[in-house]
Amino acid sequence: MQEPALHEVATLEEVDRDGAVREAAEAVRGDTRAAFFRKGGVLAGVGLGLAALPAGFALAQGTPKSDVKILNYALTLEFLEAAFYQEALENGKLDGVTRTFAQVTGAHENAHVEALQAALGSAATKAPTFDFKGTTNSEGTFLRTAQTLEDTGVSAYQGQAPEIKTPEVLASAGAILAVEARHAAWVRDIIGAGQSPTPAPAAFNKAMTMKEVLDAVGQTGFIQS
Amino acid sequence: MTPDITPLVPFDKDGALQEAAERVERTTRATLFRRGGMLAAAGLAAGSLPAALARAQGPSKGDIAILNFALTLEFLEAAFYKDALSGGAVKGQYRTFAEVAGEHEQAHVDALKKTLGGEATAKPSFDFGGATADQATFAQTAKTVEDLGVEAYQGAAVDIKSAEVLTAAISIHPVEARHAAWIASIIGMGSGSPSPAPAAFNPAKDMAAVLAAVQGTGFITMGQAESGSAVQGQPQMTG
Repeated sequence: MQEPALHEVATLEEVDRDGAVREAAEAVRGDTRAAFFRKGGVLAGVGLGLAALPAGFALAQGTPKSDVKILNYALTLEFLEAAFYQEALENGKLDGVTRTFAQVTGAHENAHVEALQAALGSAATKAPTFDFKGTTNSEGTFLRTAQTLEDTGVSAYQGQAPEIKTPEVLASAGAILAVEARHAAWVRDIIGAGQSPTPAPAAFNKAMTMKEVLDAVGQTGFIQS
Repeated sequence: MTPDITPLVPFDKDGALQEAAERVERTTRATLFRRGGMLAAAGLAAGSLPAALARAQGPSKGDIAILNFALTLEFLEAAFYKDALSGGAVKGQYRTFAEVAGEHEQAHVDALKKTLGGEATAKPSFDFGGATADQATFAQTAKTVEDLGVEAYQGAAVDIKSAEVLTAAISIHPVEARHAAWIASIIGMGSGSPSPAPAAFNPAKDMAAVLAAVQGTGFITMGQAESGSAVQGQPQMTG
C-alpha cells in the first residue's frame, strides 16, 4: 500500500496565505522559527499536548512563555487531527472497526483541542483551514494517513516534553502522549493485523524535533491557511 | 491495613515509597485490593537510549529510585512474556505480540540496568501462576500489565529531575501505550472492544498505587533484596 499524499511539497508561503500558521509557529518558539520555516514546512502533526486535567485547568499567570508556545503548537496539531477525522467520517467511506477507530479517535482529538483552548484562554491560536487532498476518500488512504499523523504526533510530543517547564502542563502532555500512541498502535493493527506495520515498531519510540515535524506536515499540504 | 511494599522496594532507602503507599492506602486501597486477582504490574519507565543515559551524570536519589522502580516493573513484564512464550498456549497474533513486547521489555531492562550500574536493584523471582496457561488469561493479564505500565510512567514522569532520564523515560512511555492498545485490539478481534484507546486523556498512577497493584497480583515471589543489589538499605517502616 502506498503512503498517503505526503509527497506534495508546498512552501509555507503558498499554503499559509494569511500567515496564521506562521503566527502560531512563531508563537511556538521564536528563537528557532527560522529553522522551522526555511524549508517551507507547514505545521502539522499532532498531539503534543495539554490535556485538561479533570477540572480543565487554565494556565496561571506567570506560566513561562515557552510553555504557552508549546501549547499553541500542540493546539494547531490537534486542530489538524480533529479536522481530518471529522472529514473522514463525513465522507462516509469508512466501515466496521475503521469507522469505530475514526469516531473514537476523532472524539479524543476534539477533547484535546477543547482542553488546550480552555488552558490557553485568550492566548489560544485560531484554527487553520485544511485540505486533506482526498486522503479521506478511501479506507486505505485514510488508514495510512491516520497512521502517519498519529505516529508523528507521538514523536512530536516526545521532542517537546523535556522542554516543558510547568508540571501541570507536563502531566497533561503525558496524558495525551499515551493516547496518541494508543491511536497509532490501534490503526497499525487495523491495517496489518499485527504483522506489517507492527503496532510497536521499536523498544524506544523515536522523538522528532519541531523542525522535523513541521517539514513532514508541510509535505502533506494539508494546512491551507 | 497498609500494604507492606518493603520487599518490593529495597531501593526505597528513605521510605518515601512506603509513605506514599500509606497515603494511597487510605484513599484507594479498597479499589486496588478487592480483587486480588490476576492483576499485574508493569512498565513504567525510564528506559534509555543507552547513549543518552550513559551521559547522565549521577542521577539524583529520587531519579535512581524511579529508575529502580521502573526496572522492577520491566523485570516483571519481561519475565511474564518469557513465561508465556515458553509454553504452547499463546499462538498466532497473540504470540507475535508476546514476542515483540517481550523483546521490548527486555531491551528496557537492559537499558535500565546499564544506566543504573551498581545502583541497579536485583531481579526478583516471579510466579505467574496460571496467568500464562491459556491464551485468554494471558491476553487479559498482558492488557492489565501494559495499562498499568502506562499509568505508572505517567505518574512518575513528572517527578523525574534529570532531563536525560526524562527523555529516556518518555521514549518508553508511548511504547508501553502501544503494547496496551495492541493487545486490546487483538482481544477485540476487530470489534474495537475493549477499546485500544479508552479515554482522551490516559489516567496516571503514582508509584505507591502501582506497587500496591503489583503486590496484589502475587506475581513477585521475592528474593529481590538478597542477590547482589548494591542498594541494600531497607526502607523505614513507618506503618
